[in-house]
Amino acid sequence: MSPVIRLSGLLLLACLLEAQPKDPYIGSQACRACHVAQTQSFFRNAHTKAERGCESCHGPGRAHVSAGGKKDLIVAFSALSSRKALDNCLACHGKDWSRNNIRHSAHTQADVVCSNCHSVHQAATPKHLLAKPQKDLCYSCHPNVQSQFSMPFKHRVNEGTVQCADCHNPHGAPAPTWRMGQRPRLQQHAQANEQSCVQCHADKRGPFLFEHAALRVDGCGSCHAPHGSANPRLLNRPVVFTLCLECHNGAPGFGREGQGIPTQSASHNMADPRYQNCTTCHVKIHGSNADARFLR
Amino acid sequence: MRRLLLCLLGAAAVSAQPAVAQPTVAPTPQRAGDANGEDFAGYNIVNSLETGYRFRSVDGNLGKYRSDVNFGNGLRVLGSYLTINSKKTGSGKLFDELVLSTQGLGNDPYQFSSLRVQKDKLYRFDSVWRWMDYFNPALPIANGQHGINTNRQLQDHDLVLLPQNRFRLLLGYSRNQQDGPAFSTLQFPDGRGDEFTYLWNVRRTRNEYRLGTEFELLKTRFHILHGWEYFKDDTRAPLFSPGPGANPNDTNTLTRFRRDEPTHGQAPYWRIGIHNEARKAFTFDGRFTHSTGQRRFVVDELAIGTGRFGAAQNRQLFAGGNARRPVTTGNLTLSWFPLERLTLTNHTALYNTRMEGEGSYGEFANAAAGLSYLNFQYLGIRTFANLTDANLKLNRWLGLYSGYHFSERRVASSQLADPDPPARLDRAEQTNRLHSGLLGLRLQPVKQLRLSLDGELGRADRPFYTTSEKNYHTLAARAQWKTKRASLLARYQTNYNLNSNSLFVHSARNRVASLDATLNPKPFLTLEAGYGHNHIETVTGLAYFSLGELTENDRSVYRSRLRQVRLGAHLNLARRADLYFGYHRIQDAAHLGLSLMDQAFPLTYQTPLARFSVQINKNLRWNLGWQYYNYKEQRLAWQNYYAHTGYASLSWSF
Repeated sequence: MSPVIRLSGLLLLACLLEAQPKDPYIGSQACRACHVAQTQSFFRNAHTKAERGCESCHGPGRAHVSAGGKKDLIVAFSALSSRKALDNCLACHGKDWSRNNIRHSAHTQADVVCSNCHSVHQAATPKHLLAKPQKDLCYSCHPNVQSQFSMPFKHRVNEGTVQCADCHNPHGAPAPTWRMGQRPRLQQHAQANEQSCVQCHADKRGPFLFEHAALRVDGCGSCHAPHGSANPRLLNRPVVFTLCLECHNGAPGFGREGQGIPTQSASHNMADPRYQNCTTCHVKIHGSNADARFLR
Repeated sequence: MRRLLLCLLGAAAVSAQPAVAQPTVAPTPQRAGDANGEDFAGYNIVNSLETGYRFRSVDGNLGKYRSDVNFGNGLRVLGSYLTINSKKTGSGKLFDELVLSTQGLGNDPYQFSSLRVQKDKLYRFDSVWRWMDYFNPALPIANGQHGINTNRQLQDHDLVLLPQNRFRLLLGYSRNQQDGPAFSTLQFPDGRGDEFTYLWNVRRTRNEYRLGTEFELLKTRFHILHGWEYFKDDTRAPLFSPGPGANPNDTNTLTRFRRDEPTHGQAPYWRIGIHNEARKAFTFDGRFTHSTGQRRFVVDELAIGTGRFGAAQNRQLFAGGNARRPVTTGNLTLSWFPLERLTLTNHTALYNTRMEGEGSYGEFANAAAGLSYLNFQYLGIRTFANLTDANLKLNRWLGLYSGYHFSERRVASSQLADPDPPARLDRAEQTNRLHSGLLGLRLQPVKQLRLSLDGELGRADRPFYTTSEKNYHTLAARAQWKTKRASLLARYQTNYNLNSNSLFVHSARNRVASLDATLNPKPFLTLEAGYGHNHIETVTGLAYFSLGELTENDRSVYRSRLRQVRLGAHLNLARRADLYFGYHRIQDAAHLGLSLMDQAFPLTYQTPLARFSVQINKNLRWNLGWQYYNYKEQRLAWQNYYAHTGYASLSWSF
């Protein structure tokens, strides 16, 4: 914008200010004189519904305008501390169920707050006002996860049908109900209290008459690498039998009875390849209603 | 003039987008039409629709390609984007905002649509619909033998009435459906028999209904929601004649087989949230849930064939019963801000569940007497966790955070499988306690540079599994340099876990390092490069049978040396054309082990791609793209493939 137009705008505003009582709020119309790019298409933005327009988030603007646009007289999110930026957004958004753990989330702890992921004025996605498409946004800080999603077998995140937020809650999640209630820390809970996996894999949810305790005690991650794997079942190991044998080794002190997780039957011969594909016979490995050994 | 200025700003913003991370080549990210849209009847409309033809040419293992990628030939709506906004807040008759985006509709194996419609102060409706064709049907056969696509459809619909009011009404519906043919296996006639592959018809449906409210009372916000989940699995294998068994040396056969195993159940649940931020120095968040899952089941199976010595064998079994799993959770988070620069949070979580069920089992075979018994199972888990974290910002450039976490889990179980009840039920119980500490440091010496360093140390006294966390530590470091034109991110993390007792050891180490850079040297050029490695090494004690002998002193060794290279360049030519080159290579450089229990999976997977998109006129773009997939693994070389895929399309706006 040319300096002439900018100066004219400011002069006009100064005249308007003289005529107004000393209300610290000045109205969004005044912002348009200088912040053209931000205000021109703001009708597309969900924040347009805020009661005081721009000043709902940026605070009273009269002093800022009177001082010719002095930055320290307005709430500029780029200059706010992360805690204050969070407080400002939560004043309206704190009531949502999905954000009731944001104060102790791993993101907040690492000083990653709302404005690090959301771009209110130049959003790439109109729905959640993200600064980039979701997967690119998450990958930008978690490149190791990107490499996992580049494995041959993976959930279809790069293909666009699965989103990171289907399984994770970037705003923080309650303590997981599996493992020891500590990690993973940003895992979305399905329905009321379960692992996000069963939201889609409903057949694995059970309850079953014969539960595979591994799922319920330590969670799906005991066996699976959900982001990507070299194994067609997204297993943590390239072949299935080593995964099973690593727990089913009879080591004392572990398992349901604390007497070791049972070793395989003596009729199994691991030297024979037919016994190396455990799930060929133990087909209902996630839980069975008919067989304690998950055979059907 | 203003319009021209906005167009220039818009074009610069578009061209300055970083190169996207390992995309599939289509749909084209650039849209047709004016980014500022057209005004019509009080609304502003922006739209772009991309239709085109995808092609593929595969050499090597087509089944593996279809499992990994699965894009085929044909016409489709590659992508679309539509936004309709009322020019003045609240002035729209039926809605003030409508946002619809779709991907792959019509023919792609991965189809997606997202819709938001809202009317200011009245309602907000969000809907997501997904359709996925999986060639690799995720059923039990090891090594991923391939068959036919199974199909999964997911829908989520949420309606909020009076979204800006103190009292809000929430309604929701989700549906998850899985259909199609898939493989499974059966061992016949007993545990020493051959394995037979059979085709079954997967039919699973999950429906979930939600009704709730959010309201404010005494400066406290409440969220109350009740949900009803209904699940049914009517997967069945109709009477048919399976093919030969998996092991040519086995002489037994399976000539007729049928299995019906319907499972129907429901899981109603409650969730209640309480949030209070009335006092500046203190916030309170509570979250309570309760669900009661139940599944009723029947298994009816008939198998007819011959045994190892050629004698006729038949087996019929019938099982039926009920399984239940009530779960209750409670979470309470207290945040205290005693100083402007200090935040203390305490999170307490309680989780309690019991899984129990009973069933009857009957089996009749001509080779043995009939067998029938009653089963009862019980598994109870109660976890208590308390996490306290402190976050202190000492000054503008230095911050510290620390935490102490404690959790205790009690697992109780009992099992009964007895043909002559009542029998004595043996009960077992154990408790595991975990203490862990976290310490971190954040530095921001200059505005563009952020550094962080943190570590965590944990000790558990009785983990449930041999591979669970027992004595573990984590160290992580991160450095990020970010300016308007360039960003550089370096990251390192190592995780180590040792779970051992006097007779057994499990040790796992994972090291992750990465360096990523994005550069916008000119408004029309974006360059992106990244390198990362992820090294995993685990050693676990094993005990197994081999040739009838118990081997107790062997070890499972797993090594992975995952390396990833990523390159991208995006060029905007004369604000009319976009050119994108990308290359992605992932390699597991570990060497194949020398013994059966020495596991590694060396592979190379690379996908270069190129895309060209040119604006023909204001409302029309022409797009062309190519992507090459090359998969090579050493373990089963017959799985390798290479494929040329691509598309040609028109993006148009009306």
